[in-house]
Amino acid sequence: MPKLTIDGKEVEVAPGTNLIEAARQAGIEVPHYCYHPGLSIAGQCRLCMVDIEKNPRSQIGCNTQAADGMVVHTRTERVLETRKSIMEFHLVNHPLDCPVCDQAGECWLQIYYMRHGLYDPRMVDEKVHKPKAVPLGPHVILDAERCILCSRCVRFCDEVTKTGELGIFNRGDHSEIGLFPGKTLDNNYSGNVIDICPVGALTDRDFRFKVRVWYLDTGRSICNGCARGCNIEVHVNRRRPHHNQGRRVARLKPRHNPDVNQWWMCDVGRYGFGWIDDDSRLLAPVRRTGGTDATIGWDEAVAALAEALKRYRPEEIGILASPQMSNEDLFALQRLAAHLGVAAVDHRVPPRVPGEDDGFLLRADRNPNRRGAELIGLGTGDARAILDGARQRRIKLLWIFQHDLLDSGWPPADVTAALAGAEMVVFQGPSANRTSAGAHLVLPSAAYVEREGTFTNFEGRVQRFRTVLEPLGEAQADWAILGRVGRALGGADPAFSAGRAEQVFAGLAGQVPAFSGMSYRGLRDAGQVVKA
Amino acid sequence: MAEKIFTRNFDRRDSHTLAVYRETGGYTALARALGMEPAAILEEVKKSNLRGLGGAAFPTGMKWSFIPKGSPAPKYLVINADEGEPGTFKDRYLMERDPHAMIEGMIIAARAIDSHLGFVYIRGEYVEPWRVVSGAVKEAYEAGLLGKNIQGSGFDFDIVVHRGAGAYICGEETGLLSSLEGKKGWPKIKPPFPAVKGAFGQPTIVNNVETIAAVPHIINRGGEWFAGLGTKTQGGTRLYSVSGHVARPGVVEAPVSVTLRSLIYDHCGGIRDGRRLKAVVPGGSSAPILTADEIDVTMDADGLKAAGSMIGSAGVIVMDETVSIPEALMVVARFYAHESCGQCTPCRESTGWIYKMARRIVEGKGRKEDLDTILDVSRRGAGTTICAFFDGAVGPYVSYIEKFRAEFEALIPHEA
Amino acid sequence: MPDATHPEFTADQLQEVRRLQGLYPDRRGALLPVLRLAQETFGHVSLEVEEYVAGLFDLSPAHVHEVVTFYTLFFQQPVGRHVVSVCHNLSCHLMGAKSIVEHLSRTLGVEVGETTADGRITLLTVECLCACEQAPMMQVDDRYEGLLTPEKVDRIIAGLA
Repeated sequence: MPKLTIDGKEVEVAPGTNLIEAARQAGIEVPHYCYHPGLSIAGQCRLCMVDIEKNPRSQIGCNTQAADGMVVHTRTERVLETRKSIMEFHLVNHPLDCPVCDQAGECWLQIYYMRHGLYDPRMVDEKVHKPKAVPLGPHVILDAERCILCSRCVRFCDEVTKTGELGIFNRGDHSEIGLFPGKTLDNNYSGNVIDICPVGALTDRDFRFKVRVWYLDTGRSICNGCARGCNIEVHVNRRRPHHNQGRRVARLKPRHNPDVNQWWMCDVGRYGFGWIDDDSRLLAPVRRTGGTDATIGWDEAVAALAEALKRYRPEEIGILASPQMSNEDLFALQRLAAHLGVAAVDHRVPPRVPGEDDGFLLRADRNPNRRGAELIGLGTGDARAILDGARQRRIKLLWIFQHDLLDSGWPPADVTAALAGAEMVVFQGPSANRTSAGAHLVLPSAAYVEREGTFTNFEGRVQRFRTVLEPLGEAQADWAILGRVGRALGGADPAFSAGRAEQVFAGLAGQVPAFSGMSYRGLRDAGQVVKA
Repeated sequence: MAEKIFTRNFDRRDSHTLAVYRETGGYTALARALGMEPAAILEEVKKSNLRGLGGAAFPTGMKWSFIPKGSPAPKYLVINADEGEPGTFKDRYLMERDPHAMIEGMIIAARAIDSHLGFVYIRGEYVEPWRVVSGAVKEAYEAGLLGKNIQGSGFDFDIVVHRGAGAYICGEETGLLSSLEGKKGWPKIKPPFPAVKGAFGQPTIVNNVETIAAVPHIINRGGEWFAGLGTKTQGGTRLYSVSGHVARPGVVEAPVSVTLRSLIYDHCGGIRDGRRLKAVVPGGSSAPILTADEIDVTMDADGLKAAGSMIGSAGVIVMDETVSIPEALMVVARFYAHESCGQCTPCRESTGWIYKMARRIVEGKGRKEDLDTILDVSRRGAGTTICAFFDGAVGPYVSYIEKFRAEFEALIPHEA
Repeated sequence: MPDATHPEFTADQLQEVRRLQGLYPDRRGALLPVLRLAQETFGHVSLEVEEYVAGLFDLSPAHVHEVVTFYTLFFQQPVGRHVVSVCHNLSCHLMGAKSIVEHLSRTLGVEVGETTADGRITLLTVECLCACEQAPMMQVDDRYEGLLTPEKVDRIIAGLA
């Protein structure tokens, strides 16, 4: 392990670490544009210059590996002057159109100009003009004049997706990034080029002009779009509710996790958040009798459900759990089913159209917690048998979590018959659908970004997602709803009396062997893998 | 008159043919080299003080020695025939009039570095040189001088003649390698250096045409002999391309110790039409300009370095008293703006910017701060890029203005 | 008839493409030679030609477009039957390149970068062709022509069909 000194701080790094990363480990920022840890070294932007003792010339940090005994200086007068010069070069032909640029506020030209530029502008000649506001594909729009030609996006398409859509055409100051004329940037990871673009050249067609980034708050979460469990940030607009068309979630961004998604996320997940602020969200418990809907309070709803669960014998109850639910939700549900003695519990409702594995991050299973449901034991029954039981009126109380059975892989006629066959249909989930429309009791769940918990991805990695927003209306976390029901039924399991997800998780770790030894906080940001 | 080495056959009829080349001792060095240990060839070249004649003047023997010893990887020898430095045309003469010297030098070098595949990268505009070199390669194959088991030695070596497609930057050795690989001619970041990871990811030596053409003579007559022709730090004679306002422009072979004055006045007949000398660019357009009273300088790498310029490709551009230096700077700045590959920000952005300023000054729209801006931008950008292209551009930017500032200032309108 | 809008090499040409690809440790090395062959065959390197060539190398068209737009000898638009490229770099500038360009522009009736109405000649200015001893000089198709005077230029142009 090379040990080196950076600005007087000694740091020991893994062999092969470059000086930008070594400095980062020492808590020192070396400014850079073209370097990205997930891409090959380009060395083009020239901003990451550092001085190395015994080396007469400054060197770029990105392409210099830390060596034992190296003495590096990142703030010599020469380095600071060079940074200032490089900043001026980057801005010579830049349009300086920050007021109308969607990147403003998170633009590394702005950030580094303030930190390292601060020169007096000298360019008085006509700047080079290039294409502006060019849609590259469904999600990405290009302003070539703002581009600093760092080539990150090009390398991303060459090295990560290996789709090669982008290139740098022409030469000299007429160089510009672009697509082959007539082609589009429509691979399933196109949104990542927006993230890695350090400037306002590539912006998000979905997000742009909706809300200024400085009004956004950020929370750590896990994408619920598939079984990969990509680590994400949820960017929400709470402070200017009239912006972003009144919607709270403004965008999702990937969060680095070397073991799960590296720096990336797919477009399916990235743009799959619209439902959170949709009109279809369920806002309060509803009882539906004889074709009339009555909004009721939670006490009444829980009492009604508890009463029904007591009314039927255990074998007359079927539960269709959802792999969209968190480990805590599923554990609370498992405890409740055990308390009731209900065995007809399953999470395996087939999708209408099976998803496809895209060979990179996106998994065929579009649920974030299938593995959790399996490990916690929510498959004691058989989903199809439960449906058939309802259809044949053997199952009288059908409790459905989230699923729209009418939009599933099951024949709609069978579903309709089952929903009609059950004496009582309970629907619990964050959003209304055609299944909830026919339920006798509807319980609103908080969306994953409105509460906290954990998902277990397909590789068995248990990862935390945090509360980013308040629940809409009266919605509550599923585990909390289930706890109330459990208590109403006289259940004494600690999972029913938990006040926080962490407490439910403690019960889970204590009782489900795969999770034993884990602690909620111990999961940290990287998560932990369940026992084999 | 000093001995002619590179040009000894230039005036013979059919000098490009194998037969004529052989008449003057051609391929005898190869026969000798095939009987030598690779290390002995390398030693001879080191002793010769041969330095790269394409521009960088790097010691050739030392360059060859950077090939990792005993590496099982294929190694490539690439000849830089992408002659493009403004004011330089000597490789064109060598390829058209003595292509076998290059080919023989290649085979010898290949043996020294254990390469079995060589490329000659000829600029796309050079159609005639390409035809002649291709013909010579064909002749060499037919004579058993290339291919498998050369001259029964057991040594194999093939040559592929490759044509560029119009880009000055491909004369930069790693830009050339990128281009050879079928890409844009973007220079590669170093490390790794080409000797470790060059063409197609393998150890590669890139040598200029003239450099490699010197090798057979060194093998035949010894490194010490070659070293003795030059100065203490650089051996041999070399070819000077002289153009501009001299009476007899052309390729001149002279020892590297020749002075610039002698080149202009003794070899090229002095300034045309009896005019006075104003300035000289001594080593291709990237070399800082020298004034008329700075020409008593020896034309070797170190001599010109001491004079604040550089030998570069030894392209000597002579300007008489009629020349407008600001216009010349505009022409040169246009060239660098046009040829910047666009990879590194400082070069990409400032070559265009400086051209705009230079043009504005010539058009009478200069601002008083423009000259200092050009100087400052040049100095700030110098040394910050992947390759030496921008440093080359800085040579004229700074020297033209510093040495002829009054001429620029006279074009800038006084503020009312 | 294959042209730049419907490019297709003959069987012999495809064999030549494969031969060229075989000369390099990685077949991509043959991209410049094959693009040259394509330009000679189809007249210029249109987008269709780029896509066609990209297919021959299993490259993304964007990567071929990068190459075609980088080098000056690939013509992205149709050019005249002859291309006249006048050097305007330093040595030629010193020896009067500007007046040669102006003379050509006037006598051909085109600006630099344009092609005569009859499709005979495209006039270009180029950077150093490295024949400075013959300055001012130009390239006419494959040929270098130097020591130009307006009269010599007229004779050369008159000889172009």
